[in-house]
Amino acid sequence: MSAIYLLILGSMVLLGATAVLGLFWAARNGQFRDMKRGARVIFDEEEPVGMPTDVVFKKREPRRRKAAAHP
Amino acid sequence: MSAIAEPPSSIHAPVPDSAVGQIASRAMIDASTRLPVLLFFGAALFWLLAGSLFGFVASWKLHSPLFLADWSWLTFGRIRSAHLNAMAYGWASQAAIGVGIWLMARLCRAPLKSAPVLMIATGLWNLGVAIGISGILAGDSQSIEWLEFPAYATPLLFLAYGLIAIWAVIMFASRQVGHVYVSQWYLLAAFFWFPWLYGTANILIQGIGVNGVALGAVNWWFGHNVLGLWFTPIGLAAAYYFIPKVIGRPVHSYYLSALGFWSLALFYSWNGMHHLIGGPFPVWLVTASIVASIMMTIPVVTTAINHHMTMRGHFHMLGLSPTLRFVVFGAMSYTVVSLQGVSMAFRSWNKLTHFTHYTVAHAHLGLYAFFTMIMFGSMYYIVPRLTQCEWRSPRLIKLHFWLSAYGIIAMFGVLSIAGLAQGAWLNDPQIEFIKTVQVTIPYLMARSLSGVALTGAHFIFAIHFGLMLLRLGRTGPEPTYFENKRHDGGAVEGGQ
Ligand code: HEM
Ligand code: HEM
Repeated sequence: MSAIYLLILGSMVLLGATAVLGLFWAARNGQFRDMKRGARVIFDEEEPVGMPTDVVFKKREPRRRKAAAHP
Repeated sequence: MSAIAEPPSSIHAPVPDSAVGQIASRAMIDASTRLPVLLFFGAALFWLLAGSLFGFVASWKLHSPLFLADWSWLTFGRIRSAHLNAMAYGWASQAAIGVGIWLMARLCRAPLKSAPVLMIATGLWNLGVAIGISGILAGDSQSIEWLEFPAYATPLLFLAYGLIAIWAVIMFASRQVGHVYVSQWYLLAAFFWFPWLYGTANILIQGIGVNGVALGAVNWWFGHNVLGLWFTPIGLAAAYYFIPKVIGRPVHSYYLSALGFWSLALFYSWNGMHHLIGGPFPVWLVTASIVASIMMTIPVVTTAINHHMTMRGHFHMLGLSPTLRFVVFGAMSYTVVSLQGVSMAFRSWNKLTHFTHYTVAHAHLGLYAFFTMIMFGSMYYIVPRLTQCEWRSPRLIKLHFWLSAYGIIAMFGVLSIAGLAQGAWLNDPQIEFIKTVQVTIPYLMARSLSGVALTGAHFIFAIHFGLMLLRLGRTGPEPTYFENKRHDGGAVEGGQ
């Protein structure tokens, strides 16, 4: 029984260890150096900051339309 | 889409077919993911419909036990597990893989590599799920929650998963940008950890044959991590990509997003034993999990603040973008379900809610209101970019959204109330057991109704998706987001 507990705990610890390893890699790789630029990597000249990319629903027409329907 | 594919004028630099040293265009990257992503989405939707019907049958039986009662394949114990597994492995996981593949390619800024590996994985995965569900219905379930699939189905899933993990590594290695965006961390974590969890749990249970208390430990170490290290990271990866991308504004605090990811990575795998509170189980292990559950408020609150601050001033865009509606609904639900989960990890509260419908309400709040809604939102964004036409009917999208939103809020509400009543009476030795069942019946009927709304929403979405596959989407004159792209010819390039 206790061998199995060790196995389970070992697996949990190992999983945490991969997270720690990843964290070290990221830090040494300079992933945390320029946070401002990091947040912007999903934008570029084609789809710059400030450009919404999913406008499917139309803005609701102002009431005027309805008024016009009544002669 | 040759009709709109005007030959690129000389202003447009030709897109290099081997993107060496040069970053491929976004449209070309999207197009390179078309086949595997649409395959995963199509299969996912098939299982969503099947799972909805299973869920509906299970739900009906809870208040009308004679419904379909004389066919052993459809008895509650089987159909419920068929529902859980169809939803978890058929729908949610495959939607997650599809969204994950697409995001991975976009964030690597590189066209998809090794597409055949992914296609083989789709085949193996669906074969595994089909065999597994049939096995459960035929009575071969393993009776271990979240691992019900019989031993003859699991290797297929594991193999498929292994292929996808290998693909993720290949893809990551080919990335064209140095910075690893926060969504990509979540994706890597999910793609890497899940096969590990799944493999370990299955080897321990089927290979070594653990039993008794250790079986409970393995069961919930796995069961919880499926939620926390597989579905949650993919849902959050999508939220961290789509919210900023749709509104066109970078994440409010990138620092907080990093903190959120790393604290989730470190705490989540210790959470599992909070499913065994009050059970015959080493108390210190449960306590460790309760502490880890409380620590989860760090990633949850940081994520919530971050998304809220990103959205601030842009909430009006919820009226324009289907993706944003679904994803923001999902992100808000993530906060709610997690804080609720933390409260459920306290022994005093768990004593009331455990073994009641309250837990099932929480389960659907997590897997539906959070995860499924984010997947719907992501698919609304991704599919038009793969099929090169727009969703046929904004009205159908709205109908889908409201049926899903009201349906899940209703389901969560009635199940929570039923659960609390049931729990309070279960804890009172003066009350006969049958009363604790009877008190829930009106609520369970209401749940079946909410299930009709959800199932209807799923059929609407599936039909809409089918129209997109047949290229029956809109290509009308209105200048929506896709038209904008056509003007610079960018979106057309990728069509192979
Ligand atoms: C179409 C609407 C749905 C209906 C009518 C429905 C109904 C049900 C029912 C009756 C149960 C059994 C509860 C019990 O054992 O007491 C259940 C459990 C479950 N369902 Fe659903 N469901 C629906 C959608 C979904 C979706 C979309 C997902 C996931 C993506 C999901 C995930 C689950 C899970 C994980 C459980 C196990 C909960 C637990 O053990 O606590 N369901 N559902
Ligand atoms: C991080 C914060 C969270 C905490 C602390 C938490 C806590 C809990 C606890 C204590 C239970 C067991 C209830 C019982 O059996 O008495 C539970 C069940 C469950 N949770 Fe959460 N939860 C969290 C987030 C989530 C999320 C994000 C999801 C969905 C993606 C989710 C889905 C579920 C499901 C499906 C179950 C039912 C498992 C089953 O019995 O089959 N939870 N949660």
